[in-house]
Amino acid sequence: MPERNKLSRYAVIFEDLKAGDIMSTRVVEIAADKKIAHAKELMKIKKISGMPVVDENRRLVGIISIEDIIHALEFNTINDPIRRIMSPEVVTLRRDDPLPAVVDKFESYKFGRFPVVDDDGRVCGIITKEDILHGILEKFNLIYIHDQKRTSTLDTEYSSITGEKLNAGQANFHYRIDSGDIDAAGSGAAMLKQFLAGKNFHNDIVRRVGVATYEAETNVVIHSKGQGDIYFYQDEDRFIVRVVDNGVGIEDLDKAMKEGYSTAPDHIRERGFGAGMGIANMKRFADKLVILSEKGAGTQVEMIFYLPTQTWPLI
Amino acid sequence: MIKVRDIVALLDAEVLSGENKLDEEVKSVGASDMISDILALTQPGMVVLTGYTYPQVIRSALVTDLLGLVVVRGKNVAPETIAYARENNFLLLRTRGYLYSSCGKIYSLGLRGADAGKE
Repeated sequence: MPERNKLSRYAVIFEDLKAGDIMSTRVVEIAADKKIAHAKELMKIKKISGMPVVDENRRLVGIISIEDIIHALEFNTINDPIRRIMSPEVVTLRRDDPLPAVVDKFESYKFGRFPVVDDDGRVCGIITKEDILHGILEKFNLIYIHDQKRTSTLDTEYSSITGEKLNAGQANFHYRIDSGDIDAAGSGAAMLKQFLAGKNFHNDIVRRVGVATYEAETNVVIHSKGQGDIYFYQDEDRFIVRVVDNGVGIEDLDKAMKEGYSTAPDHIRERGFGAGMGIANMKRFADKLVILSEKGAGTQVEMIFYLPTQTWPLI
Repeated sequence: MIKVRDIVALLDAEVLSGENKLDEEVKSVGASDMISDILALTQPGMVVLTGYTYPQVIRSALVTDLLGLVVVRGKNVAPETIAYARENNFLLLRTRGYLYSSCGKIYSLGLRGADAGKE
C-alpha cells in the first residue's frame, strides 16, 4: 500500500490532533530581498531542505526549497534576490486545522513542508512529515512491538522518534548498566548529569535529563533482568537519550503507564523504589518519549530534550 | 528568608554533611520515602524530610538538584551514605523528631510544599 494512503487511513484516528499541536515552532525563515546564496548557506547550517520567505513585516510571501537553489546554481543566478525564484503561491495551514486536513495537504501537493500562519499572515510554525510522526507518537507515548519485526525496530540504529541515524559508537556519552547491582542504580544518570554540568548548558535541561535518565536506568536495574546501556547524543538543538536493554520487556503497558502502579518486589520497595512513577516522571521531564518493548526481547526508551528555543534573527 | 541554619535550630538537627550550606535559603519543603516522588516534586531551594537512608537517596537528590535532606526519627545513617554526601558536598541533616512533627514545625515557620498555590 502506498505510504500516503496509509497516512490518511490512520489520520482519522487522530482527528483531535491539530496543526498547532504538532507543528514545529522553531521556524527558520528568510527575508525575500536576501540573496539566494544566503538561503543556501542557512539551509546548509540548519540542515533543512526548504523554508518560508517573509517580507519586512515577517509576513509570509513565498517558500524556497532546495530544488530552487539547485536551479539557481545551475543557471548561475545564486546572487539574485530570493523573491525572484521563490514559489509565491504557498499552501499554508492554520493552527486549528485537524490532522486529517494536514495529511490531506501532503497528499494533494507534493511539498515537503507546510507553513502554519496566524491571522496576520505571519508564520507561527511549520509542519513536515517528521512533525506528523512526532505528533502521533506523542499521542501514543508508548508503542508495543508484538510482532516479529523486532530486528527492524528494537535493534535499529535509527531514532524511533526522528528517524535519524544514531550510531552507538558515536554517542557523546555511554554507560553500561550493571543490572545486578541495585546499589549502583542511578549511577549512570548521575554521571551523565555530571558530564553535562561541565558544559555550560542551562541547569533546567541538565536536571530534566538527569531525572528522566535516572528513572529509565533504575527501571532496567529493577525490572529487566538483562543487560542495559545508556546512550546520550547531543545535537545542535536537542539532546537524545536512549536507554536500551535486552531483558524481559514490559508485560502490561497500560498498567506500566499508570501512575502508582508498580511490579517492584518488596526488597526493592524498601529501598524507596517502586513508587510506580517511573514512566510518569520520564514523560514529565522529557519533551518527547517513546518506549518500544517486546515481551522477552527487551525495552528501548528514547527521550528527546529540546535546548531552550532561540529566536533566529531575520537575515 | 528562612535559612538552612533556622531549620537546623528548629529541629535540633545534626549536620552530617554540607556544613557550608547553612546560610542558603530554603524555599520549599517536602516529605517522602519514595525516590520517584522526590525526583518529581523537587523545586529550586527545596529540602526533603525522609525516613530513607540508603546511599541511593543521595544520588537521586543530586540528580534532581535538591538543596538538602533531613533524616527523621534519629535513624541510623550508613557510613557509605554520609561519605557519599560529603564527597558531593550535599546537605544532609538528621533530627530525632518524627516525620509528622518535624513537618509541622517547619510548616509553622511559613514554609510551604511543592503543591503550594496549586489548590
